[in-house]
Amino acid sequence: MTRASDYPPPFNAREFVAEPTDPVDERIEVGVLIVGAGPAGLACAIRLGQLLAEHPDVAERLGEVPVAIVDKGKQPGSHLLSGAVVNPRPLRRLGFRLEDLPSYGPVHNEAVYVLTRRNALRIPPPPTMRNHGNWIFSLSQLGRWLAERAEEGGAMVLPETAAEKLLVSHGRVVGVRTGDKGLNREGEPMGNAEPGSDLVAKVTVLAEGTQGHLTGVALDTFGLRGDEPQVWELGVKEVWKVPRAPGGVIHTMGWPLRTRAKYREFGGSFIYPMGDDMLTIGMVVGLDYRDVELSVHDILQELKTHPKIAKLLRGGERVQWGAKTIPSGGWYSLPKRLYAPGLLLAGDGVGMVNIPRLKGVHYAVESGRLAAESAFASLQRGATPATSLASYDDAVRSSFINDDLYEVRDMRQVFGRGFFVGGALASAMTVSKGKLDLGKLRAEPDAEQPLLRGGRAAQYPTPDGKLTFDKLSSVFASGNKTRDDQPNHIRLERRVPKEVAELWVNLCPAQVYEVGTEGGDGTVTVNVAPSNCVQCGAITAKGGRLTPPEGGSGPEYTLT
Amino acid sequence: MSVLVFLEHHGNELQKGSLGVLTKAAALGDSDVAAVLVGGGVKALASDAAKFGAAKVFVVEDDALEPALPQPRVDALAKVIQENGYETVLLANSVLAADVAAGLAARLDAGLNWDLVDLTSDLVGKRPALQDSIFVDVGWKSTPRIALFRAGSFDAAASGAGEPEVVEVSVDYAEHSQRAQIVGQELEESGGPSIEDADIIVAGGRGLGAPESFSLAEELARALGGAVGATRAVVDAGWYPYSAQIGQTGKVVSPKLYVALGISGAIQHKVGMQSSNVIVSINKDANAPIFEFSDLGVVGDVHEIAPKLTELIKQRKS
Repeated sequence: MTRASDYPPPFNAREFVAEPTDPVDERIEVGVLIVGAGPAGLACAIRLGQLLAEHPDVAERLGEVPVAIVDKGKQPGSHLLSGAVVNPRPLRRLGFRLEDLPSYGPVHNEAVYVLTRRNALRIPPPPTMRNHGNWIFSLSQLGRWLAERAEEGGAMVLPETAAEKLLVSHGRVVGVRTGDKGLNREGEPMGNAEPGSDLVAKVTVLAEGTQGHLTGVALDTFGLRGDEPQVWELGVKEVWKVPRAPGGVIHTMGWPLRTRAKYREFGGSFIYPMGDDMLTIGMVVGLDYRDVELSVHDILQELKTHPKIAKLLRGGERVQWGAKTIPSGGWYSLPKRLYAPGLLLAGDGVGMVNIPRLKGVHYAVESGRLAAESAFASLQRGATPATSLASYDDAVRSSFINDDLYEVRDMRQVFGRGFFVGGALASAMTVSKGKLDLGKLRAEPDAEQPLLRGGRAAQYPTPDGKLTFDKLSSVFASGNKTRDDQPNHIRLERRVPKEVAELWVNLCPAQVYEVGTEGGDGTVTVNVAPSNCVQCGAITAKGGRLTPPEGGSGPEYTLT
Repeated sequence: MSVLVFLEHHGNELQKGSLGVLTKAAALGDSDVAAVLVGGGVKALASDAAKFGAAKVFVVEDDALEPALPQPRVDALAKVIQENGYETVLLANSVLAADVAAGLAARLDAGLNWDLVDLTSDLVGKRPALQDSIFVDVGWKSTPRIALFRAGSFDAAASGAGEPEVVEVSVDYAEHSQRAQIVGQELEESGGPSIEDADIIVAGGRGLGAPESFSLAEELARALGGAVGATRAVVDAGWYPYSAQIGQTGKVVSPKLYVALGISGAIQHKVGMQSSNVIVSINKDANAPIFEFSDLGVVGDVHEIAPKLTELIKQRKS
């Protein structure tokens, strides 16, 4: 049995932990440093702004820059992608009126279909998929808007800045080192090179989102990983301009995914209206699949050829495309603790996602807000001893984040037993509000799934450039124009059995990997085109490791 | 309306891009079109500028200014604009011109529209957006209006003749303008014209099969008197240098003739060459997207067709 995990990437978390190296007078000192301008990081910055406005004495003590957010994207929102039907409660709790948010309004109607190749059977929405009271957003647009609010509240937002190393001094996190810019493919400085710098902070909040680079480094460095390994799903979505958007949100299950248990194809699709003349359509598939030919991008293309769905898109035009992983391990995969000395962890980076409900944005916002309150309380007292951030952990564990995730703790795992059995168990679990205890179901890391060749590719449609698209034109539609001569940010074993290489080629929605030359012993080389990468994180789940590329590179999402 | 065009030169030659912008300025229908030349020995170039439509040429003759540094040029342009009241200032994009345009905008507190590909006579600029999928109309709220045009937006066409009115200008340079100096300059050796300037480009893609096969593109380019371009895939694979890369993350070109050998025509490549006048492609895959935007498409093996084509062109030419 071949497993991708038998060919681990050349990566060691220790490489990305360092003492500050810049001379003391050249370090950039901030009060609270937030890594990642997504819903968690921005909520944290906004809440800190509110608290500091109420307590100018504390703000005073934090110096010139009380709150700073770094983000690797070109601008806030560039790397944000989600469905997104959002539970708005935590946004309201931050003091926003829902009418003021850049949204596409509340969900009025919803429909769930089980698809077969030609037909669609409408079923009553399972309890977890009811969206009454939730609002439709583009997360990218919401992020851009929240970043403006964070800036108004006094936070300094630094886009195009990758957080590359965790600065640790005497066992305490003291900030991050940002990535170098302007290096060539060999890592040598070019004419416009700009070395990274030490951003030193009293409290560092990692809100990096799915597959967060420093979050992974911190979990290993401080021994925080949970009982169960984290597992992921990959979502690929498109935004379409259409003559008429559907009147409500649509979810589908079944086709084009195969239901036989041995394939482990768990997932579904979503179609959300964005106003009158746009919609977003996405496909989400668990990365614990086994068929090396599986490609979520191509399954999405296949989905669009279904007569019911093609009808929704007729006369329309694809305007954007993107991909991102979703942590799906749930409650059992949460870290043991959400803090370390000087450090707080929030949002998707630690896996705060409710997969059966397809929701995570509101947990990110809530955890960001709670992180702000804990950081503030600790700063207000003046000192930041090792355990002073523990209040954050308690706050999260007694919040709805913990309650919600506990209720559905086993749901993801049961689908490993096949679609229908899993579906029935999942329903039973929600109906019983989590009281049906199946004991802990083991989840294997996605990369440890034994690989098989299941003929998946035979089903994919040939792209026609109108309804269905190839990967390269999709990368273009993500706005990605990364320069081709920057250093490779993807760590990967470059000589592997052919199955593993094919797994990566098909896995990647952005055509980063290519099967190279045969080694004669059943192995092949893997060619890598890192500038195609849209930083979805799938490769980290399936046996490679992303590190942050040069700040400002990657996709430039605006509507996802 | 009065229009001033910044002319860039290297050695004794005016750059084709800025002559194209000058041609455009003359075509806007205003008689008051002037050009600025800055550097050593530039006075001799003034009559060339007249051919492309400049009625008046401001010359800032100073050997010390021959190095292509932006700030002294900002001083010179600012002076010409302020003393003569020019309302519209046009530049053709280059590393130098982009710096000059930005510096000038800051100095004069003027609006700058960059990456334009066209300008109407009532001064509405066209700027491609969203990866060149749409055009945006842009304008200015105040004068002077500064516009920086994308390379290759306009053809340089000699129209006028005769001697222009030459106005020599002497400039007092700001102290901060003289701080930077060029300590060395390296020229990349390459045979034939550069791909930005070439009227004919022969570009090779992955369909050539192997790095050695790039000689097919080189020989055809030589026979046609053109330059050689490459797709990202072959540059990535190390077959050809990055300086020849055409496309979204390489150079944007618009030659009169573009010959694509073994290029599939991914959209990333297309946006770098779609404004070429005539596109000829040879590819063995009849479904390759490049055929959708080629003027002439040949389905066949590039290894057979390209050498014959080269031979035929050589015969015709001799």
